[in-house]
Amino acid sequence: MLVSLNWLKELVDIPVDAQTLARKLTDTGTEVEGLEVPVPLFSGAVTAKVDSIRRHPGRPDLFVLSVDAGQRRGTCITAAKNLREGDIVPWGPPGCVLADGTEVSTRDFQGVISEGMVLSAEEIGLPEIADEFGILRLEPDTAKGEDARKALGIDDTILEVSITPNRGDLLSMEGIAREVSAVFPEARYKGLSPRVTPRAERLDNFEGVFLSDAGCPFYALGSIDNVKIMPSPLRARVRVLLSGMRPISNVVDATNLVMLLVGQPLHAFDDAGLPGREITVRSASDGEMILTLDGKTRILDSEDLLITSGGKAIGLAGVMGGGESEISDKTARVLLESANFDSIKVSRTSRKLGIPSEAAYRFSRFVDPFKVETALAIAMDMMASWGAGVPTGWIASGAPALEERKVHLTSAVLEKIIGTGDLEMASGILGRLGIATDDRDPSRRVYRIPSYRPDISIEEDLVEEVARIRGYDKIDAVLPPVMHSTGDITDRMRAERAVRSTAMARGYSEVVTYCFVSPAAISALRFPGSDLRSTPVALSNPLSSDMSLMRTTLAPGLVQSVQKNIRSGWRRAIRIFETGMVFYRKGDEVEEVFKLGGCVCPGVDSRSPWGEQETEDFHSVAADVEAIFSSRGIAVELVPGNEPFGHAGKTARVMADGRDIGYLLVLKPEIEAELELPAPVYLFELDMEPMVHGGRALFGEIRKFPPVYRDISLVVEEGVYSSDVLELLRKLGGPLLEDVRLFDIYQGKGIPEGHRSLAYSLAYRDPERTLRDDEVDGIHGRLREQLSQKGIRIR
Amino acid sequence: MGSINDDVVRIRTLFESELLSAETLDALQGIRIRFLGKKGEVTSLLKRLGSLPAEDRPEAGRVLNELRDLMEEALSRRTEECAGAQVAAREAGEWLDVTLPGRGRPWGAFHPVAQITQEAIDIFASMGFSVAYGPEVEDDFHNFEGLNIPPHHPARDMQDTFYLENGLLLRTHTSPVEVRSMRRWGAPLRIIIPGKVFRRDSDQTHSPMFHQLEGLLVDENISLAHLKGCLEAFANRIFGRPLAARYRASYFPFTEPSLEMDVECVACSGKNPSCRICKGSGWLEISGLGMTHPNVLRAGGIDPARYNGFAWGMGLDRIALLKYGLNDLRVFFEGDLAFLNSKGERR
Repeated sequence: MLVSLNWLKELVDIPVDAQTLARKLTDTGTEVEGLEVPVPLFSGAVTAKVDSIRRHPGRPDLFVLSVDAGQRRGTCITAAKNLREGDIVPWGPPGCVLADGTEVSTRDFQGVISEGMVLSAEEIGLPEIADEFGILRLEPDTAKGEDARKALGIDDTILEVSITPNRGDLLSMEGIAREVSAVFPEARYKGLSPRVTPRAERLDNFEGVFLSDAGCPFYALGSIDNVKIMPSPLRARVRVLLSGMRPISNVVDATNLVMLLVGQPLHAFDDAGLPGREITVRSASDGEMILTLDGKTRILDSEDLLITSGGKAIGLAGVMGGGESEISDKTARVLLESANFDSIKVSRTSRKLGIPSEAAYRFSRFVDPFKVETALAIAMDMMASWGAGVPTGWIASGAPALEERKVHLTSAVLEKIIGTGDLEMASGILGRLGIATDDRDPSRRVYRIPSYRPDISIEEDLVEEVARIRGYDKIDAVLPPVMHSTGDITDRMRAERAVRSTAMARGYSEVVTYCFVSPAAISALRFPGSDLRSTPVALSNPLSSDMSLMRTTLAPGLVQSVQKNIRSGWRRAIRIFETGMVFYRKGDEVEEVFKLGGCVCPGVDSRSPWGEQETEDFHSVAADVEAIFSSRGIAVELVPGNEPFGHAGKTARVMADGRDIGYLLVLKPEIEAELELPAPVYLFELDMEPMVHGGRALFGEIRKFPPVYRDISLVVEEGVYSSDVLELLRKLGGPLLEDVRLFDIYQGKGIPEGHRSLAYSLAYRDPERTLRDDEVDGIHGRLREQLSQKGIRIR
Repeated sequence: MGSINDDVVRIRTLFESELLSAETLDALQGIRIRFLGKKGEVTSLLKRLGSLPAEDRPEAGRVLNELRDLMEEALSRRTEECAGAQVAAREAGEWLDVTLPGRGRPWGAFHPVAQITQEAIDIFASMGFSVAYGPEVEDDFHNFEGLNIPPHHPARDMQDTFYLENGLLLRTHTSPVEVRSMRRWGAPLRIIIPGKVFRRDSDQTHSPMFHQLEGLLVDENISLAHLKGCLEAFANRIFGRPLAARYRASYFPFTEPSLEMDVECVACSGKNPSCRICKGSGWLEISGLGMTHPNVLRAGGIDPARYNGFAWGMGLDRIALLKYGLNDLRVFFEGDLAFLNSKGERR
């Protein structure tokens, strides 16, 4: 909300400068986001009376004015045709600076010297306040020789105030003034004392107001006759503009100024535009339509609250009026609505239809029901004083619905939370906020909550009022006493940290990618319909279609990171990892599964002084996965497997404790090509659950006797997995075979085509004694024999 | 006697000049043989002692022994020098470019937000807070109603929510985990809740996904002083120096009273009116906080007559921006290695 400091000063004495006011309001919860001086560059202009007007002797399109600014007189040339002798205008003598920063000077118009210029609203920087083409004419009673800023009412400071949703009462000058008086005990709140016309039984030529929905408990309607629609007085237009609204006409400006002043939205109907001779407030029927002021047709449902006349909708209650009863130049009688509408209903309709009007904004945050009459009285008074029409009376239906609230405050609770239990001090602060008590008890008092503070309903609310006005800086910082337990980072975080430290030590960088993915990113992975990952849960209101699905796999985010790096010119190896949730559809629910994903791409430039040794390959990535899981005591094993987006010959399932926890693969070459990635791209994605759970301790027993080593080389066909050979060796090796390690893979001379030789180092050990060479020869010999019997060639 | 003395002088002069020109271990061995060997110059002189008059023998013996000791010492010193020089020359021939970059993969990179999260958690863990987690997909009760935000409450405007097709939503804050944790563990309770949160907003300082760290302490007789104590201890530790703090009244439906905490600008301490980080205000907003609303305690199954507490929420991404002097939140989610590897492109 924009708050004019000049206007505020009319309501409350402010004992400090604008900066201090802003600072203090911010500290106490009314955040001042900015302080601005309107049209700050415009200066040096004065008000002047046009003494005479004559045509320029050589230029028939120009006029020569003689202007009188009291102490000073001058001659000005203008092309504007709207001036009459006697008008008061803003005169910018030489040296005056216009809103756009131009300095006014003396100019020669074919022999006639113009001493500066008379100004239009545009030149002053406020084109919205113009009510005609040409020079801005000030009110006839404006004194001459006055600073134009002051005369126009722009010698002001505007506070841009952000109001929290619980404080609807601060969406008005009155509310802000009351708050200022609470914050500064020495400030005096002057309050409002409008002249109230007595309520009438009925209005001329009008049947009355009928309420048929609980959403409108109180509705008042004033009648203004002999209306002359004109621009409102200049100062009023300036005030409307400085408050962030647009001047429209006397009637509309008056409703807006009153809303700004007391917070009660008003709506003016053109009596001639009403289809009937009554106004009825009721709920809409499903599918009912209304043409709103903004020229749009809206379709309604039974939850929307309508203002109707003659059975037809003429306004959306508290949100926006209808087009047909809009005030126009021809309006002769105005019916002025001041009513109270249910905040939830208004909020819902405004949100549903996307109409964020000033009225809806206020009703959504609660409007004091006791402001209905006050606002109507002030508005009718204002219109009368502007000569906009003649108020002829007002009627009302219903009554303000709000029970009186009382809330107690004990010194014990106050002391517990803010460190002082002084109820005298508390009553002083609360009293300035309009929250009064008659109690004098030092330990417990009951306070009456005013109707404009619906946010206060429990003791803690009163504590907050006292604490914020007293100042939070008065409370010293102390660490809370008595720890009941030590802080624990928990297994999940231990697992994340183990992943991080291991992966980073192995050259991986951590990334965080969005949990939303695009439909294209999912379909690129070619999941069959039966795969849980093929049907991600969709957002109903995504920011864009690229971010419309909840990820079912970390792969798209990782692959996109690789793409982005390559596009931005990264040439070396890319190694990234991420931990995070994937989201599976489970009926109507969503299952979140904690995953670790990684992506490695050797990059387009893998040169190094060490030659090929540094090239990433499937097996180096496998070692990374093994190392990460080993860091929490988990042994993983790779077995042949598949994934729809994995290279058919280069995809492994990763097993932990006999359970499939994910994949390690080379991306399908056609997908690499589609995504323009430099092949190969290695991807892994694994359940974090085993990491969180953790495995066995990472130590073995102490062995007293040395092992004995024997090597063996087997020739097997290509396509035979080394893991199968390993398993066979373990099975046949007998109880003393402790460890088997692959140390060489050979293809070439001496090995038949389509075969390869796998060489293993076998360690035999007896935990009870030292093995003799001949014993080991015996055991190892039997192993060789058994392998031969199975038809395996030993080199 | 005179002749022996003459010989000593002559031999010594000769020895010294030969020693001076000997460069190799072999040459030194030659000198040793020539002067101190069985048939060497000194040995032959010693052999001549017997032919001297008895009264001259002790003095001549002393002179000769002295000469021999002197030579031994000079030879061994020179031998050591030569051996050292030879080793040095050999090793110099086995040169290695010790300035080559280390072989193997370089260290990866920590994500700034992960780094901050870890540091923040360690700080609060030292104050007795334990980590709690909750789902990222939430229902209306845990994200709003249980936190004292009924339907159509204007506070829902403060956080534009992503809804899922099935009516669930992406949590807009980590606060739902407060209610879940109170229901699970009851009071007293000290937890911190790190995690991803989602809001429908995207610009330089807003990302549709970001990270929060929520804290909740429930116990008997808890005050705003305790809340200030915890958060100021945190701010001072995470930014590495004592920072002035200030508090402003605010509004959150789930706390009463509600506050916002600012700390002195970590970049300029309020001394630079054109500071890019604090925009010249001298202060940085870092957390929203307050005393837990009794309705929230009740939603968590805790009796507000006996227990009270406080809670806070802070944006970890924002703290990372401040700590590392960055200005665009979105870089955190782009996986850009040139950014993550602070030294720029490495191997």
